[in-house]
Amino acid sequence: MKKTLLIALSLGVSMLATSSMAATIDPETDRQQFIEFFKAKNPNISPEEYINGAYVYSADKMAQWEAAEEFPPYLDAIDEGEALYNKDLAVYQKCFGSDVSKIRVKYPYFDEASKQVVTLEGAINKCRTDAGLKPYGWKKGPIAQISAYLADNARGQKIDVKIESDAALAAYNKGRDFFNKPRGQFNLSCAKCHVDNSGRNARSNTLSAALGHTTHFPVFRAKWQNLGTLHRRYEGCQKNIRAKPYKAQSETYRDLEFFQAYMSNGLEINGPGYRE
Amino acid sequence: MISKMKHLLAALAISGFVISTPITATAAEPSAATIEEGKKLAFSRSKGNCLACHAIKGGSMPGNIGPALVAMKLRFPDKQKLVDKIWGTPETQTVPNSMMPPFGRHGILTDDEVNTITDYIYTL
Repeated sequence: MKKTLLIALSLGVSMLATSSMAATIDPETDRQQFIEFFKAKNPNISPEEYINGAYVYSADKMAQWEAAEEFPPYLDAIDEGEALYNKDLAVYQKCFGSDVSKIRVKYPYFDEASKQVVTLEGAINKCRTDAGLKPYGWKKGPIAQISAYLADNARGQKIDVKIESDAALAAYNKGRDFFNKPRGQFNLSCAKCHVDNSGRNARSNTLSAALGHTTHFPVFRAKWQNLGTLHRRYEGCQKNIRAKPYKAQSETYRDLEFFQAYMSNGLEINGPGYRE
Repeated sequence: MISKMKHLLAALAISGFVISTPITATAAEPSAATIEEGKKLAFSRSKGNCLACHAIKGGSMPGNIGPALVAMKLRFPDKQKLVDKIWGTPETQTVPNSMMPPFGRHGILTDDEVNTITDYIYTL
């Protein structure tokens, strides 16, 4: 019975995946189906738990991760981020206001004037260049540290991405399409690993669920030994499947982030996070 | 201009033909050395990396995305079908949302390597 349901659901998702960018695509229906899929796949895991990544699939790994999060390796990075933020405080306050706890939750959003998705990192650098300051590199270092500082101040708030125009819907559709389309030498899509086969192991690495993917970024990865942004992870993921990665903060990745963040609407922001 | 287009189309057609041509399974009984070579390719992370998804006797820390590679002769009475599956001919892509890369079609392995891996997998 369970198996039949799973098959029916996975067929549903694959049909979702292959259907063209029809005008009938409704993000909210997508999101509900997304959540229902993961509920059916693992009835014992509630949707809210997926913000903790692949660790939800293993009690052992969860215990190790929780131990690591008690004195997490990203604490210094948050302090660095705070210091950097305060160094150019007047500039940032002009862009983001004076309450640092109210910034992270606004991103990503679709800017109706420029018809582009604006990410937190994009907004930080735009704020800098508009004020005549040098922009930071996109993937690690200062930008990730400031992003971590702002995420930390927003912990517990809920992801709230809005789609309120046709142009925003088009950006969502582009991200959705990217997510579902197989690519690279290995012919893999985001969805194949992180929806259809989430919870399964590739060698000894557990594939995380796409639900909650954006909540805990930036992350301190043991593999990197430092903090990195979501788009840095996108690049790494694409290299893993032997696809040519796009540039961090390219329109493609910003649209993907927009789609992924929408899928995680209502989930708690818990960045920065520690990951293997 | 038109002749140039024709030229291009012909080139595309030819390359398309080459790319989509499946390879033929080795008919002769493979040698122990070939089977050993196939095992190396199958376990190698940068080549077959079969262990990423499949449990294989003698392989450590296998993934569990695909089925265990056991009773292969029973599951593939026709060895050619197994070659096609690993090479990645379109008609073998029948598992919905399969993670299995088309190893030959996408040039992850050479045709020889696909045959050598198949020789090994067929002993399982």
